[in-house]
Amino acid sequence: MAYLELAKVSKGFGPPSQRTAVLADVELAVDENEFVAILGFSGSGKSTLVGILAGLIDPDEGDVMLANKVVVDPGPERGVMFQNYSLLPWLTVEGNIALAVRKVMPGLSRVERAEYVQRYVDMVNLTGSEAKCPDELSGGMRQRASLARTLAMRPNVLLLDEPLSALDALTRANLQDEIVRIWEEDKRTVVMITNDVDEAALMADRIIVLTPGPRATLGPSFDVDLPRPRDRAGLNRDRRFQALRKRITGYMLNFTKTQAGDEARSRRRMPAIEPRVFEAA
Amino acid sequence: MKYKILKAIDVSGLTFLAPIVRLATGEEPDVQIRAIMQMIVVPIVAFAVFVGLWSQLAPRHKTKSGEVPTPAVVWDAAQGIWTFHAREGDKETAYVLAGEQRESALMAAKDRLAEIDPLTELADRQVADAEQEKSAQVAELTAPLRTKLAVVSERYGADQAARKARWMERADRTAVSDTDARLALLGAWNEHDLRTREEREELKNLRAEIDTVGAQAFPALSAAQKAQTAIAEERQFLRKRIEVLTAYNRNEKARAGEQQLADLRSKYLQADGGAAMAGLAANIARTRTRVESIRESNYARPYTLPMQILRSLLCVFVGFLLGSLIAIPIGILCGLSPTFMAAMMPFIALFKPVSPIVWLPIALIVVGGFIPDPDDHWLINGFAGLPLVGWMKINPAFLASAITVALCSMWATMVNTALGVASIDDDHTNVARMLRLSARERLFRIVLPSALPLIFAGLRISLSVGWMVLIAAELLSSSEGIGKYVWDMFNNGASDSFAKMFVVVFVVGSIGLALDRIMIVFQRLVSFDGAPTAI
Amino acid sequence: MTPEDRTPDDKFVEISGLTKAYPNPYGDDVVVVSDFNLTIKRGEIVSLIGHSGCGKSTVLTMVAGLNATSGGGIVVDGREVAGPGPDRAVVFQAPCLLPWMTAFGNVLLGVRNVYPHADVEERRDMVEYCLEAVGLADAMHKRPCELSGGMQQRVGVARAIALKPKLLLLDEPFGRLDSLTRMQLQDVVLRTLDEHAITTMIVTHDVDEAVFMCDRVCMMTTGPNARVGRLLDIPFQRPRRRDEVIESPEYFELRAQLLEFLAAQEHATVASRADADDPQQCAAA
Repeated sequence: MAYLELAKVSKGFGPPSQRTAVLADVELAVDENEFVAILGFSGSGKSTLVGILAGLIDPDEGDVMLANKVVVDPGPERGVMFQNYSLLPWLTVEGNIALAVRKVMPGLSRVERAEYVQRYVDMVNLTGSEAKCPDELSGGMRQRASLARTLAMRPNVLLLDEPLSALDALTRANLQDEIVRIWEEDKRTVVMITNDVDEAALMADRIIVLTPGPRATLGPSFDVDLPRPRDRAGLNRDRRFQALRKRITGYMLNFTKTQAGDEARSRRRMPAIEPRVFEAA
Repeated sequence: MKYKILKAIDVSGLTFLAPIVRLATGEEPDVQIRAIMQMIVVPIVAFAVFVGLWSQLAPRHKTKSGEVPTPAVVWDAAQGIWTFHAREGDKETAYVLAGEQRESALMAAKDRLAEIDPLTELADRQVADAEQEKSAQVAELTAPLRTKLAVVSERYGADQAARKARWMERADRTAVSDTDARLALLGAWNEHDLRTREEREELKNLRAEIDTVGAQAFPALSAAQKAQTAIAEERQFLRKRIEVLTAYNRNEKARAGEQQLADLRSKYLQADGGAAMAGLAANIARTRTRVESIRESNYARPYTLPMQILRSLLCVFVGFLLGSLIAIPIGILCGLSPTFMAAMMPFIALFKPVSPIVWLPIALIVVGGFIPDPDDHWLINGFAGLPLVGWMKINPAFLASAITVALCSMWATMVNTALGVASIDDDHTNVARMLRLSARERLFRIVLPSALPLIFAGLRISLSVGWMVLIAAELLSSSEGIGKYVWDMFNNGASDSFAKMFVVVFVVGSIGLALDRIMIVFQRLVSFDGAPTAI
Repeated sequence: MTPEDRTPDDKFVEISGLTKAYPNPYGDDVVVVSDFNLTIKRGEIVSLIGHSGCGKSTVLTMVAGLNATSGGGIVVDGREVAGPGPDRAVVFQAPCLLPWMTAFGNVLLGVRNVYPHADVEERRDMVEYCLEAVGLADAMHKRPCELSGGMQQRVGVARAIALKPKLLLLDEPFGRLDSLTRMQLQDVVLRTLDEHAITTMIVTHDVDEAVFMCDRVCMMTTGPNARVGRLLDIPFQRPRRRDEVIESPEYFELRAQLLEFLAAQEHATVASRADADDPQQCAAA
């Protein structure tokens, strides 16, 4: 039985006369403790999708169901981690996490809370930087702090909105491993939005493509039948990975064709004028 | 079509109109009505509440220079200002009219005068009637009071006389040796005196009560008086107009002069002897000069508020232009060269906080130094020769005010320009280097366009600072303009001066608002990261 | 140019001993790139791949002349590079369009400067041709703020090719785009490069991009002292089709080689990088 479900969800923006349907008839079913990656591209409504899952945006039609109950408002059982970190710049790492903890577990004493926060700081390998403010941290460290804050709320569902796309490749790889490690230690349902096929294949149990908007909807779902733990370097030579990647890329090529196909090639010739030669400055 | 209108609204910044347009096209009526409530109805209600409070509170507060005017009085004053302006305009045209035009204007004025003459009588009668009615009503209202007053005052008179008589009687009977009795009598006198004073006080209060009833506002009478004044003013104006159309008219005076000239010439031709001829010749020459100067003369029109507003606008515009012409190039140089910036910094920091009150006398002296004879200077003559602004009689005081505006307002533009030029995107600089753009192209195609939004933000601040500074500068320099008008009103202390100052408050506020809005439109037009495109 | 003094095709661009060092007031100079050597054939597409901060962009900006060299030489078509110029057009990572001009105006700005002798008609033809070539025929007169990120980058490409550069320099041109848009743009750019046989240098950290677009991949070691680690020839014939490239058996092998090189660099770096992201690794270093 699916744990997190979207049933016939649609969402549009703008006045009725020129309404742009961003999402149309989105159906999603995620099992408990499953790691699903949604492969989305710019302008395909992926942020809207996360907003709807998190309860921050109300869908025009359809419902969000969590454990067979319809949920409407945002709640601590669904933790969201955003691409832009969304840390409060005037609070330290510890303060940012403590703020969330205070909200979710108001009964904790000061000492208990400090211990609790410390546990999550350690979990994301930020030990030693608890007292730093976000502007003293690198992008990767900020994203770690953001992850710790989200995890500290002990959500049943973790929603990751392109958590790593603002980071450089090296940091990105580190954090990918980190997130998978934490997920394996402490299983929960994860929905991650990404636009990187490799990232999705490395981390997820299942990859679903969000078709480019308008009227974006979820396309076919590709099961990632690769054994865990997955080895980043070895993966590339794995036949199953190669087949999966070909299938996904092949599916994506359909979009590039339909989108780029109408670019009629120019019948013109490039004008035969020669550029002037600049003398060395 | 709809989107064009919406886009225009967006660019002009009059966003409160957008919901009306959207509502007219039937787009989500409930959303639009909520927007209209918020953006139009609420401000109107707030303003109405303000006017209501004002008209309630104003009459309760009396100052030495008269009552605080109510909105109605201020509105009347505004109309009065406009009528005065229009009538002065009529006189000005009447002064130069000639031939048939003059005749017909004269006819019209005479007709109108004949028309309102009976009205005058009517108005006089109405005032008299109203006065009569008022005194009748007052008499009626005060009748019981007056009766009471008469009764009481009679009784008190009798009482006092009786008390005094009694006292005298006792005094007569008191022997010289009876010191105690005499001292007691002294006390009795004091008592009598106190009583008398109390009684007088009571009578005074009664009279005051009667007076208050008499002094009550009497709308019918004040309306009749207003009508009477209006007609009297119009009559006076028409008489003056007829005068200007006849005896004072430029062409009439010139014709009279020509006539005189012709007479003199014939006398001269007939004259005997050198002395007589010389006298007549001199007279002819004098008269000719006079006729010529009459032909060129114009009606000596006093400055009215609308003209002063225009002059103030020109003054702020000249000052603003002058300031911008100095500030923008210096700002660009500052932005391009940190060295130049460092050189300019002390001046900017030092001069920026100086008050207009300090700049103005300096500007007056400097302008006075450059223009020793205002009647014969190329700059003044140049301004006088310009179309549209020639009538404004640009003088050194005007120039000093404009320079003060420039000196006070240019800093915002200068600093913003420097910032805009200095903070040009490195990416854009790299593009320019890769394309090997020349220095000129780099300045005009890359640097200036990217700095434009900030430059305009600075200009906007400059203009609003300039407008505030200008009023003070005009007030001090006596350059004809809004500031001078306020000062004149303050000094002349006529019954409606206070109301006229309130009119000026609204005029100055509205013009400042309009200038700011215009600058916002410019600013949005040049800002490339494009709010106007956001439909 | 007569055939005799034409630069030999296989040595169209020569970079030899290229070094970049920044002065460090508290010790030895920080050498970002040292002794970098690379030769590019006429019409070849070469990519520089490496981890971020490895100095690959520094090499590119030095070739562009936007960044002064500290040693070594760069010769493009027989001329020593000394300063920026339109013969080495750059497409930057950010589109770098002038926001107050339309797409047309942005391209025209360079065209006007580079073809002073051409008449207005010819220049307009050139601008329109280039914008059409990158698929922007309908968006020519729009301003950058009305264009999506991918379209803005297309204008950047059009602006560069309109200069008829001897060497086109692409500095992570698609780094900020999502994978789908990136694929579209790679197709468009590769088609244009094929058509005009433009010699090109692409800086990227995307392995797929390098394999799909380039004739040769130059793998750079991670800085400081970055240099050429390995050169890898990509044997696919140009023009290429993405579906064919993906299906070919060598594709994953080439990809694996690049990934392995990068992974090896990563392990080498982690031990030495002072500003590493991971504080534990940082502490271990």
